[in-house]
Amino acid sequence: MELRDKKVIVTGGANGIGRCLIGKLVDENTILGVFDINQEAIDKLKKDYPAIFCKNCDVSDPKQVEEAVDDFYGITGAIDVLVNNAGIIHSSPLVSIEKGKIVKYDIDKWDKVISVNLSSVFYVTSQIVQKMVMKRTRGVIVNVSSICAAGNIGQSAYSAAKAGVSALTVTWAKELSLWGIRVAGIAPGFTQTETAVGSMSETNWDDWKKKTPLRRMATPGEIADGILFLIKNDFFNGRILELDGGLRI
Amino acid sequence: MEQKLKRIIANVLNIREDEIDDDSSMETVESWDSLKHIELVVSLEEEFEISQLSTDEIVEMISVAEIKRTLRNKGVDI
Repeated sequence: MELRDKKVIVTGGANGIGRCLIGKLVDENTILGVFDINQEAIDKLKKDYPAIFCKNCDVSDPKQVEEAVDDFYGITGAIDVLVNNAGIIHSSPLVSIEKGKIVKYDIDKWDKVISVNLSSVFYVTSQIVQKMVMKRTRGVIVNVSSICAAGNIGQSAYSAAKAGVSALTVTWAKELSLWGIRVAGIAPGFTQTETAVGSMSETNWDDWKKKTPLRRMATPGEIADGILFLIKNDFFNGRILELDGGLRI
Repeated sequence: MEQKLKRIIANVLNIREDEIDDDSSMETVESWDSLKHIELVVSLEEEFEISQLSTDEIVEMISVAEIKRTLRNKGVDI
């Protein structure tokens, strides 16, 4: 896909990998929409790029998603690309030892992680694909999965959600190819973003670095380059690009 | 035996043996989380050839001092 003047929505675009991707998409002369829940990060982004459409939106709330998509569509009249990037990380084993007790994984945390990382992808994509189909837009959906989709110790909800995102990618590619819409996924390895770094102890990070054949984390820019490749390459469809420095969980 | 215990703890928690003393605990050692704790318990059972520890024992042995007390109760000379 040639990106010039294409209308692109990036969820979670005000921080981390998403924010990095925004910089690259600006260089490609796209018309951008960012849905993010972090107002402080949105304000910073707006300062750097006043022309970008930014919406404070909880993507795990279907009503807020509908409103945000309608607002962007109302201005641009089309949506060519969606990058489902928003997500949260929570690390906790299924059972843990806390204050002399065996404690179960918190159900509210489970619901939240599934809702933000998996349900949101369904809400945003269905909303946007409906518009793509109605307008016969030959669009692209990129879903950000994770190396954890293979099942990462201490991350039940996050791993399950990301495995779900990978499955949706394959399913939707099969369904939507007939409409001329491509769906691709990316599964980054451990990446140096604020969210990821804050989710683990320093010892854990050092451990993962040692296990990664390249002995380092990815930079957000390297992952954003991968997403850009998925948007541009018209033959990449229904597959997940593993961008993990050679690490296998 | 004390040295053997330190070696096991150091290996599981990925820390140096000289960083370990009786006060070392889940509170003070960053890498000593719930998952590592279970790994530690299993290693202790295997290395000291003791019978399966009870849930109460597992949740109590969250410091080196407590681990030693539990091992002594199991007949380990430490």
